[in-house]
Amino acid sequence: MIKYRNRLFGWKDPFAVKETEDLFLASVRENCRFQYDHCESYRKILEYFHFLPEDLKESKDIERLPFLPTWVFKNHTLFSMSKRRMLIQATSSGTRGKFSRIGFEFGGLWNGLRMVLRVGGWRNLFSICPAHYIVLGYKPHKGNETAVTKTAYGATLFTPALSRTFALRVKDGAYESDLDGVITAIIKHSKGRFPVRFMGFPSYLYFVLQKMEEQKVKVVLPKGSKILLGGGWKQFYTEQVDKQTLYGLAEKILGVKESEVIEFFGAVEHPILYCDCPNHHFHVPVYSRVIIRDVDTLEPVETGQVGLVNLITPMTLATPILSIMTDDLGVLHEGEECGCGIKSPYLEIIGRIGFQDIQTCAAGAAAYLKK
Amino acid sequence: MILYKGKLYETSQQARLLGRMEKDINDTRACKRLDISKVIDAVDTIGQKLKAGIYKEKIDRLGIEGMEEQIRTVIAMANRESIEYRLEIELGELREPFLKGQAIKGRQGSGMGAVDTYVYPLGTLFHIAAGNREGLPVFSVLEGLLTGNINILKLPQADQGLSIEILQELLEIEPSLAEFLYVFDTPSTDLDAMCAMAGMSDGIVVWGSDETVAAVRRFAPAGVRLIEWGHKLSFAYLSSLDEIEEEILDEELRALAEHIVSTRQVLCSSCQVIYLDQSRLEGVKDFCNRFLPYLERAALKFPAKSAGMRAEISMKRYCETLQKIIVGEELTEKQLFAGKNCSLTVCEDMELELSEMFGNCLVKRLPSEMVMDVLRRNKGYLQTAGLLCPQNKRRELTGRLADCGVVRVTSVGKMSDSFFGEAHDGVYPLRQYLRTVNVEVC
Repeated sequence: MIKYRNRLFGWKDPFAVKETEDLFLASVRENCRFQYDHCESYRKILEYFHFLPEDLKESKDIERLPFLPTWVFKNHTLFSMSKRRMLIQATSSGTRGKFSRIGFEFGGLWNGLRMVLRVGGWRNLFSICPAHYIVLGYKPHKGNETAVTKTAYGATLFTPALSRTFALRVKDGAYESDLDGVITAIIKHSKGRFPVRFMGFPSYLYFVLQKMEEQKVKVVLPKGSKILLGGGWKQFYTEQVDKQTLYGLAEKILGVKESEVIEFFGAVEHPILYCDCPNHHFHVPVYSRVIIRDVDTLEPVETGQVGLVNLITPMTLATPILSIMTDDLGVLHEGEECGCGIKSPYLEIIGRIGFQDIQTCAAGAAAYLKK
Repeated sequence: MILYKGKLYETSQQARLLGRMEKDINDTRACKRLDISKVIDAVDTIGQKLKAGIYKEKIDRLGIEGMEEQIRTVIAMANRESIEYRLEIELGELREPFLKGQAIKGRQGSGMGAVDTYVYPLGTLFHIAAGNREGLPVFSVLEGLLTGNINILKLPQADQGLSIEILQELLEIEPSLAEFLYVFDTPSTDLDAMCAMAGMSDGIVVWGSDETVAAVRRFAPAGVRLIEWGHKLSFAYLSSLDEIEEEILDEELRALAEHIVSTRQVLCSSCQVIYLDQSRLEGVKDFCNRFLPYLERAALKFPAKSAGMRAEISMKRYCETLQKIIVGEELTEKQLFAGKNCSLTVCEDMELELSEMFGNCLVKRLPSEMVMDVLRRNKGYLQTAGLLCPQNKRRELTGRLADCGVVRVTSVGKMSDSFFGEAHDGVYPLRQYLRTVNVEVC
């Protein structure tokens, strides 16, 4: 019987991480037991590491819970439920050509929705005032099951949508970017009464702004216009677009202030909405915990140290994504360092794992490094 | 960018230029012979300029790790004496007749009649250079020029323009080389262009991984000589360590550790497996306990690895374990001796295989009587064996390793060092780029 999850996802203050410590632990334990009982591969992994769900006696024990790298979900289909009970299945954007397939059951989605409402409400994302949407991402298409597409589209439901313009559209079966179409829409909407909301990849926003700057086009968008950025960590951080440059451009070209630029991230393997605070820091919400692990030993490191980012959430039962290891390198900072008032620690992603630009003539090495 | 007979063209001109290239090549071959001394002069001049730091700014701009070491090697190789020494070693008795266009006089009056032997360039070489080392494309072309060939070079995808810059510099010093040089930035996927270039060639020189070599074999026309410089594997072989004087052993182990860490194990001459000449697994573990501190000290001395790279290695290892758990495969007995930024893994098997690289070496048993059986399974891939043993055993073990197919035997610290006049993967390249012509004396 799953009883703690509902309480956790219903918690009023989305950043009361300290206060929910015991509840989070209980929720992780019940999820772990469920996965252990219903997913054979998950059970085998826990058995190999001599770990039982009941070993989760105190919060510190979560560190010993075996984690599953996203690689596992890209190479194996792990479900703890029949497909019939899963309402949706979403895939990751397919780094290195492989996709994670993650299923979500009603309870998981319901709690996910409560989370989105809570976090979005805290950041004033919802409004009854209609808006024009510019999606800096993919136009939904029946062949595209990526979570990025689904969430970007989902975000256009935050307020009544007057129109939706997509930066990437399907043409002859393939996605094609249409920056000119986006710019035309921006100019048109800037002359109207209703606010404009941007949603999608930061790199696309950057391309659009760059192009507008080249064409010497500047607008002032109606009051209430917002820029929501996110959609896959990979696109976000490897693009190396300096955040301040982007904010500066947004104000200069679109007349949207930095305080109206809101970033969020999430991954299909860890479907928790991380939304930035006014200081643009990603504080850990109650639904999630972060453990940074040493790059050599995979043991937890101290706050402030760089390591691999391990994310934990008991949101979903359908797939054992309870504790997953991302391909990201990050640092966890003390919440107080931010200054926005939120006490929960905040996560900074600083890079990705991988062999960059390695040149080799050792037999088999080129193929090995590409894997 | 395309470099065609000394002139630069846009990539879009490729089809037009390929259309007339055969005629141009034939014209050159019909009327001209390359003066090798001019090639040597030009290469020597470039070497001197490099030494004087004239290209320093350009090279620094590329920001390539470990470039200084490579530059030192290039300077040493581009030197006139080294080139001449190389010609002497590689061509031997063919050198004089080749350089002077003279015949090696045949016997007089035997049954077959007298035959004179001339040494000619192979003709036209098509170089398919991998991007695994800066300057490699140029190096390959220079070997072709030193043997008087016309050279068509397909640049690797990763080439940042360095190759064309150096070759242009070469042509500025010696304009007569222009007709012997054609450089294209064709992608490997442009099969039509690749086939066209291969079709104009007498020899294809291919550098790269198994996949690259296999791809070239698929499109190379029959009758064209294939000269393959594929990727290789190397290892260290350690025997009777207890008979080696402590001080010497200490020095050698330090050198081996530094070789492993400093080459990051990505070279074909890098040590992937340390073999111990014994059958006891316990002895292998004892060695790891002893060697790990050396490796850690080396890792501290050459801290080239990024956190991202180390994380990738740890995660690969972890995923490998999970993979086996999920598919129910038996977990092979491997014991990890983990150090800071490095590791040794004891394996029960004896196979020569790629390690995880970047300071992570495999350690295995391999009794000397089994060397042949085990290493023959990697024929075609064997390159360097770094040998550490008592002096009185060195000769015998060297012979054993060479019998298996190993083509370089060095001390354990110098596995990746270059030596003047050394062969490349067991052959003298310059000889591969020549042909002999027998002429009956009538």
